Amino acid sequence: MSNTARGGVRARNVIFRIKRCEGPGKPSRWEAFKVPVEPNANVISCLNWIAANPVTIDGRQTTPVVWDSNCLEEVCGACTMVINGRVRQSCSCLIDEYAPNEGDTITLEPMSKFPVVRDLWVDRQRLFWGLRKVKAWVPIDGTYSLGEGPRETPDHQHDRYVMSTCMSCGCCLDACPQYHKEEDEGKWDRSFVGAAVVNQARLFNEHGTGRVLKPERLDALMGPGGLDACGKAENCVKVCPKNIPLVESIAAVNRAITIHGFKRIFSGK
Amino acid sequence: MDNGQGFVQRNYFLLRRLHSLTGVVPIGAFMLIHLTTNSSILWGAINGRAHAATPIGRGVETFQDEVSFINGMPLLLLIEALVLWLPIAFHGILGVVFALGASNNVARYGYQGNKRYMLQRLTGYLGFAFILYHVATLRWGWEWLTPANTAWSHYFATSTLAAALKGDGGQWTVPGIIVSLGYFIGVSALVFHFANGLLTASITWGIAVSQRARQRWGYLCTGIGAVVMLLGWSALAGFVFLVDHDEAHQIERRMVELKYGPEFLKEIEREHLHRPGMEAAAIRRAAEVPYPGPAPVIRE
Ligand code: HEM
Ligand code: SF4
Ligand code: SF4
Ligand code: FES
Repeated sequence: MSNTARGGVRARNVIFRIKRCEGPGKPSRWEAFKVPVEPNANVISCLNWIAANPVTIDGRQTTPVVWDSNCLEEVCGACTMVINGRVRQSCSCLIDEYAPNEGDTITLEPMSKFPVVRDLWVDRQRLFWGLRKVKAWVPIDGTYSLGEGPRETPDHQHDRYVMSTCMSCGCCLDACPQYHKEEDEGKWDRSFVGAAVVNQARLFNEHGTGRVLKPERLDALMGPGGLDACGKAENCVKVCPKNIPLVESIAAVNRAITIHGFKRIFSGK
Repeated sequence: MDNGQGFVQRNYFLLRRLHSLTGVVPIGAFMLIHLTTNSSILWGAINGRAHAATPIGRGVETFQDEVSFINGMPLLLLIEALVLWLPIAFHGILGVVFALGASNNVARYGYQGNKRYMLQRLTGYLGFAFILYHVATLRWGWEWLTPANTAWSHYFATSTLAAALKGDGGQWTVPGIIVSLGYFIGVSALVFHFANGLLTASITWGIAVSQRARQRWGYLCTGIGAVVMLLGWSALAGFVFLVDHDEAHQIERRMVELKYGPEFLKEIEREHLHRPGMEAAAIRRAAEVPYPGPAPVIRE
């Protein structure tokens, strides 16, 4: 009988240290759980086990740990959390890579830049608010049919495709040293929107129909909380699970803003 | 908080772009020229128009010539204020404000880009302190902050600089070691800051967009940084390790004498020697040393 898999990893016990919080504004505390893991387990399957056995490592009964998840295949972004100090999706985080030996520890924390709803579950509203701020959509609402859309070349489509794979997970914001936690909704307008939003602005600026809103998007990104708050740390592009060329998007939108800014100066608008 | 941030927030785009621009021109461009001038203490050795017997003597001549040229420029104070002090104050103060708004996370995300981001801010702070000390001691006359109360004089550019860096008569002193080390750190920090700033400026303005273009621009910035670093280090090494204070002082006296006449030389020497705390003995001693080699060149 063999319970080894993938490079000889065996079923074993792994310690999960989890940063817990009862709700918004409540203090947080650490709790540890000892979880028997099967080969090929991931963080979500271990969280499921903890939910069914909410007993800490020193035998104390506690509440089940709360987290958010949906697709379980790294396309929705809901399960994003900070694992061993770095932000990533928990559904695609394999225990065999993070804790190959008996007694290894994995640390789970909620994302650091968004308000905690409970335990590992955060509220990423501000990201979606940012998408609205830059009008990250193609405007087609109206009273009559607009007919066929413009043609796309395969090359252009290829370039834009990768930008469109963003799942608004917020990794790029959590790792950005220029993006700060802001619980007060009234201040979002003057706080940095972050790389994900800039990338979406570029995606729709380069869309045949979406480009009619380009001046408005650039105006929004020139104002307070716009792209000028970026400090070029380039963490965003490193942590993006979709390998979106975020710094390229930042530079491209900056170029558009440079041109847009000069045009505005000379047209007096 | 809101009121203090109001102005910066409303004009964020303009301020940020002006900050980036001033970093490159005029400040960065000036630093390039400044370090080229200063390193003439070394490359002056191959200056065909210099006549001193020793290579470093020719460096002293060349450097003196450059300094005299700059100090002979019309409206120097106005140019300095508009092209240097104002932009540096603007870039520096705004730079500190921006840098304070960073939440560094290199410990968690130790990527190269993140380290450069952190270093850009650290070298900004260091550079700010260094520039303040540098300008205050050598330009605004805060002699009491130098190792031996040396007042830098553009008539005796090399010898007074060596003394301001090392101490009395260009001899090593303990405060001199600290000041020289400070110069090494300050210059290195600012050169890094400039080179990395060139790299990030290409993102700020959207000049190099694609990954490949930014990589190529990065290599170029590294090259530029290495060359400027070499200029800065060689200037410092020249003044700190290679210059002979007394020889330099003699060459400078001779150049003043040839250009403005012996009366003028006596006058400025008297002025210098009577400054309180000046390294009078060292200068008197240097003035006794026989003149080394043929007469130096003088620009008209
Ligand atoms: C000789 C002195 C200096 C030079 C040549 C210089 C040059 C530059 C350049 C070229 C940039 C790039 C701007 C961009 O990213 O678009 C820059 C950025 C920066 N400088 Fe300076 N600088 C100097 C002094 C200072 C000082 C004294 C500070 C004070 C802390 C400072 C703080 C900063 C900061 C924080 C940035 C980053 C701005 C950003 O994130 O976009 N700099 N500097
Ligand atoms: S490049 Fe800009 S957006 Fe990306 S992590 Fe750095 S500061 Fe944040
Ligand atoms: S750009 Fe990448 S890291 Fe940022 S939200 Fe989208 S998928 Fe996540
Ligand atoms: S659950 Fe959708 S990305 Fe993890």
